[in-house]
Amino acid sequence: MPTATPAHYKNDSPAGFPDVDPGYKHRLFEQVMADHRMPDYIYGCYECGICVAVCPSARFYDFSPRRIAQAVARQDFELVFQQMQEDIWECSQCFSCLRCPRGNNPGGIITVMREVAINEGLATAKQALEGYSRIIYKIMSTGTQVSPDMLQPDAFPDWGPEVKDVSVNLDLWRRALPPETHHTTSTGWSVSERTLIELYLIWMQTGALSMIKDVDEGLHMILEEVMEERLEEEGIEI
Amino acid sequence: MTDKPIVVIGGGPAGISAAQTACDLGAEVVLIEQRGFLGGTPIAENYASLTPHMRSAEEVVGAMVERLTASTSLEVLLDAEVTGLSGEAGAFALDVAAGGAVRTVDCASIVVASGFRHFDPGRETQMYGYYEYPDVIALQDLEAMLKAGDVRRPSNGETPKRLCFIQCVGSRDRHIGNEYCSKVCCGVASKEAIEVREAIPDCEVFIFYIDMRMYGYWESQIYWPAQERHHVQYVKGIVSEVLAKGDKLLVRGEDTTMGRPMETLMDMVVLSVGMEPSAGTRKLAGILGVEQNKYGFIQAANPPLDTVSTSKPGIFAAGAALGPADLEDCASSGAAAAARALSAARMVIGA
Repeated sequence: MPTATPAHYKNDSPAGFPDVDPGYKHRLFEQVMADHRMPDYIYGCYECGICVAVCPSARFYDFSPRRIAQAVARQDFELVFQQMQEDIWECSQCFSCLRCPRGNNPGGIITVMREVAINEGLATAKQALEGYSRIIYKIMSTGTQVSPDMLQPDAFPDWGPEVKDVSVNLDLWRRALPPETHHTTSTGWSVSERTLIELYLIWMQTGALSMIKDVDEGLHMILEEVMEERLEEEGIEI
Repeated sequence: MTDKPIVVIGGGPAGISAAQTACDLGAEVVLIEQRGFLGGTPIAENYASLTPHMRSAEEVVGAMVERLTASTSLEVLLDAEVTGLSGEAGAFALDVAAGGAVRTVDCASIVVASGFRHFDPGRETQMYGYYEYPDVIALQDLEAMLKAGDVRRPSNGETPKRLCFIQCVGSRDRHIGNEYCSKVCCGVASKEAIEVREAIPDCEVFIFYIDMRMYGYWESQIYWPAQERHHVQYVKGIVSEVLAKGDKLLVRGEDTTMGRPMETLMDMVVLSVGMEPSAGTRKLAGILGVEQNKYGFIQAANPPLDTVSTSKPGIFAAGAALGPADLEDCASSGAAAAARALSAARMVIGA
């Protein structure tokens, strides 16, 4: 670990979180940098700002993909730690920032930072994912994200009055859609048995499922049960 | 063919290129150099390697000198200074003081390649303390250290652990009067940064800049490798002052990327000084009667496509006497000026 205060700022702990052990911050940074994707995600930044210009999140938050790329390029582990507390959860992972002329991928860097934050069970990771338990459950258990039956009359008032109309005869509305795979209400589209089993295997084997353990233990338990049960039916043992 | 020689004033890269071209085209050439050796600023100021290809300055310039001085149609006057000019294109008479005597050199046309000098950091209007702190040095000082293979803090002889460059010292500054960009310092600083990282792998190297100007291939030849392979830290924002703090240097500025003020400690600070017309260029412009621009460089008379003509027929200029130039510019404009000088001589003869 570098001994000198890495940073370039007036305050000794300009990046915030002065009480957190710098050794810990540095370890997280090393984890981010050790990811095999990183060499393709960060080259160098010359601060043209195109990633900020195209970033939808930057329009609504004090968020800048340029700062993410810059912090990593500068190996400023204090700042990277700070960004893992807040900034990374403001990214919508749309990857518009791939337009970077240097070939950087700030969104990809954020993906890696998020994975490290989740694996390490950072409080902010829990916080950020709190509101998403249902979505995580849907994705991991069905392979699809928002399902039509989540459209309850009063659930999403900000989605407008049509939601109410649609929710009344949901099944009918869905059947009106041309692709048969969309004639579903409890999943976003129909998912074949084989796909589902493959997905469960992927979630379990890659460690994606265990990532959730530190973030939401209850959710993890339910999902693990669902998956193990289904795989058992297929005679697959993990 | 004209029987009068072509005179080239200045024995740096541009002058050598001009003299070589004129010799190759069959002219008699008199090369006048104020120093006691050929090679110009890269040799006089101990450049270690040349930007961007990083080949040894002594080897590259030495090879130029060797090839030129093998020419049979060349006369070299060292420790020589031009003191007066009379006549006109096709029949100039140049007074040259050398070895305690003044001699008149008759010539058909003249190429001025009297070069630049490094901006004197004592004139900068920030507060970088070049003459105050031993560990504040300039690009050419670091070149000399790199050439000697010994980069250390002048104050205590220790190997630096943190070293930074400050760009645009003496350039792009209305207070100083040098509003122009000196063109090469971004590349040279980046090249030196790479060399420091290679020589001292555990030394962190920073470059504080206004904007990096890496034109053409320098981008991928120097800038990207410096960032991507050598992890030189480029911080956008210029330094306002350098202060002593203990045995370190406190560098104060703004980190504009992160949008906050910045103060950080360094072991060494390297000032990326720009280019100014050399004393010789200023003096020669007066003696020869060629127009200078507001910065004292010789004014190219017909830009943009005629880059080497001066305001006076028969007199051409090349290299950094015309303004900030890299070595490739110098070699190119030297050859162009020689060709133009020769064609001017022939046109006069033919007329």
